[in-house]
Amino acid sequence: MASHNGSAPAPAESPPPVDSVREFVKQGLDSEDERIDVGVVIVGGGTAGLACANRLLQLLGDDSELMESLGEVPVAIIEKAKTCGGHNLSGAVMRPGPLQELFPDMTREDWRKERFAFGEVKKEAVYMLPNGKAKLRIPTPPPFKNHGNEVISVSSLARYQQRMAEEGGAYVLTETSATQLIVEDGRVLGVRSGDKGRGKDGEPLSNFEPGTDIGAKVTVLAEGCWGHLTGAAIKEFGLAENREPQVWELGVKELWKVPKPLDRVIHTIGPWPLRVASKYGQIGGTWLYPMKDEKSGDDLVSIGFVIDLDYRDATTSAHDLLQLFKTHPFVKEILDGGERVGWGAKALPGGGYWSMPKLTMPGALLVGDSAGMVDTVSLKGVHHCIKSGFLSAEAIYKSLKGGESLESYEQAVENSSIGKELYQVRNTRQPFSKGFIQGAPVVNLAIATKGKIPGGRLEWHRNDEEPMFIGDTRERYPKPDGKYIFDKLSSVYISGNATRDDAPNHIRVQKEVPREIAETWEWMCPAGVYEIPDDAPESGPVDVIVNYTNCVQCGAITAKGGRLTPPEGGDGPLYTLT
Amino acid sequence: MADVLTYVLHYEGAFNKNSLGAVSEGAARASEIGGECHAVVVGGDDLSDELCQSLGAYGATKVFRAKGAEGLAQPVVDVMAKVVDEHGHNYALFGGGLLGFEIGAGLAARMHAGVTMEVTGVRAEDGKLVAERPILQDSKISVSRYQGDLGIIIGRINAFEIQERDGGSAEVVDVDVEYSDWSNKAKMVQRGEQRGADVDIEGADILVAGGRGLGKAENFKLAEELAGAFGGNSAVAATRAVVDAGWYPYAAQIGQTGKTVAPKLYLAAGISGAIQHKVGMQTSENIVAINKDAGAPIFEFSDLGIVGDLNKILPKLTEAIKTKKGG
Repeated sequence: MASHNGSAPAPAESPPPVDSVREFVKQGLDSEDERIDVGVVIVGGGTAGLACANRLLQLLGDDSELMESLGEVPVAIIEKAKTCGGHNLSGAVMRPGPLQELFPDMTREDWRKERFAFGEVKKEAVYMLPNGKAKLRIPTPPPFKNHGNEVISVSSLARYQQRMAEEGGAYVLTETSATQLIVEDGRVLGVRSGDKGRGKDGEPLSNFEPGTDIGAKVTVLAEGCWGHLTGAAIKEFGLAENREPQVWELGVKELWKVPKPLDRVIHTIGPWPLRVASKYGQIGGTWLYPMKDEKSGDDLVSIGFVIDLDYRDATTSAHDLLQLFKTHPFVKEILDGGERVGWGAKALPGGGYWSMPKLTMPGALLVGDSAGMVDTVSLKGVHHCIKSGFLSAEAIYKSLKGGESLESYEQAVENSSIGKELYQVRNTRQPFSKGFIQGAPVVNLAIATKGKIPGGRLEWHRNDEEPMFIGDTRERYPKPDGKYIFDKLSSVYISGNATRDDAPNHIRVQKEVPREIAETWEWMCPAGVYEIPDDAPESGPVDVIVNYTNCVQCGAITAKGGRLTPPEGGDGPLYTLT
Repeated sequence: MADVLTYVLHYEGAFNKNSLGAVSEGAARASEIGGECHAVVVGGDDLSDELCQSLGAYGATKVFRAKGAEGLAQPVVDVMAKVVDEHGHNYALFGGGLLGFEIGAGLAARMHAGVTMEVTGVRAEDGKLVAERPILQDSKISVSRYQGDLGIIIGRINAFEIQERDGGSAEVVDVDVEYSDWSNKAKMVQRGEQRGADVDIEGADILVAGGRGLGKAENFKLAEELAGAFGGNSAVAATRAVVDAGWYPYAAQIGQTGKTVAPKLYLAAGISGAIQHKVGMQTSENIVAINKDAGAPIFEFSDLGIVGDLNKILPKLTEAIKTKKGG
């Protein structure tokens, strides 16, 4: 751990003040007249949770007897955003198969009319960027082949899925967070919704509404990256035994309305704007996707930057690196004359196959990003989310119908495209821990051999064990001009973020930490949540200011020594086309 | 001919500023579409003839006065519904605030009328009124046109400027209303202002606003002294950061999650000018910023910018203003 610098502190040395099992697992369900009973409760209305709801309701729609046996609310979805999709953000280029399987009567034209799909990928290019001026086209590596895939918005897709779920008979509780997993005798019995209307110090305000126990026959944890209850469930049920620790990446994205359409999907694989030397530990890439909005006729471009949270330079800022990327002449040409219409940030699980926890426990299962189903080599996860939701619904249906255990879902995932695709790329990320130059050939080998070489299982360490130093990456960031280059706060503003000023702080971090850790948080956070006071000492412990109402709930802090917990339902961003 | 009906709230013999703004706006727009602006007032004996007539100064030609509970929404809905029914007004206009929102919404439901809330501008187009409403975090304006007999326009707070005109005195018409069962079920128990209303930030002509650049809570006294020197209708405001830090009360917070103000002079002391703050004060007539960081965004929308040390500049400014006032 201290191999780079004997005195450099790692975030893990300042762990967040949190005990997730004790705080987030509730033993026993409230009595019948104090709780709400539903058939199946799904925590999180993203693409995975809603795919589960969509498929389950299709199955229940053909089985009215079972539907009725589930009571007044056969399927409930709990979503902390103002609407499903409000907290969803992805690139996103999606492999179409699983969504076609979920909605077989819809054509891709229909998708576009519903305004969650924005065109089929016809052309693509991958560039290496040796510096901020030049670019070098390279043959498209197999994982980047996107021909025939669809550019989508997960935020819009979730809105559409919500509508379908409601038409199918689901009850969607928006602006509601699930704060505790209810367990009794080793079985998950439901979840408890969060309190509303508490003040800064947790005191009930005049509009205080306590949370409620929601009892369910089956609980689906579809919380996305850094699931609050998923984390507690993994600990409570030992789901991550013999697995590698989960590791994470952070993506920051902007949407631009452009005067001339982009004709291809573009990825760049660095090294610019990152530092190539291994002491910085920076691995990341960018994307530029064309989006044609068929409803408005607008030409849009999705541009984003994603970085592995294993980096070591505390001054690494995904938001500012995206701004830096935009100064490259070839990007300027694409966005020239355009206008930024959206911004957002989200962390994603990057561990892949070896980091996936066991997916089931008595009474509950994990789907989508909660279970870490992202292929970070090809930058894809949406199709896995939908597929896992679909498969989970079938397992739940069988379990409700015939009393079978939910465990059949594990095998179904393993045998499906999810298991197969993630297995192929299982060893492609670890070599990068040696740096881009040393790591890249091994990765190429792994990709070329479809994962056969290197074989076995490559291990890694937790992101927060990486010692941090205060480097000079910050010196490269361009100065915001409010027109083309943006600061963090104006970006948070257009994310539609609204968090009550007198709500309790939902971010758990130590308030007094070494300067290196404080700098790490301040630079990393895309929303400007962490601030070091002007009069703080240059070294030694620093009192961090936490502006938690800026938080867009990306979750990156969990990788670097903090913990995001769900704030009051309804808080946070309101993403639309991200 | 198309008439506009507004509701005017009063308290202790004085009319609410937002309501007077609505009357002014209603009168100006009604004249453009060949109509008149009327007002509804609901209350007790404190609604003297003289007080009601004085609404003429803002352009109301008629004032419909009803006896009833003041400050509650449902009785006013009953009164307005009756007045609209009998006189055929085409628009109902509200100055904003929670009561206006509630009455407007109630009236819309009662009369099956179209309603637009948070309106910041009204204009006449082909003899009809059109409401403009900012959307998408105020980045775009959407335009609402009305169908049907009645259109309801609810302004954003302080959106409509008060304009005195030489309208003389308004005709007072007493209205007898049979209130709905539910309308008198709610009673006014207590009138209170939310969270420390001792400072009237929204009504001040001069605001001295402090941000984190003040350095510490105690330095707010520099801002208070300056506001004191200005005297008259001036007050101290604050940014979210300093309210969060506990340096100043929430009631004084300006910005996206605080108050929206438009004083004649906004003096920003140690405020960087993030968009979240800007949206709460950008329509101020004159913006003066003092900040030690020449690159602070606030200088991009200030009329006058001073780069320097607040601890030195604020006391000197206070002295200078005292001297000028004294001399």
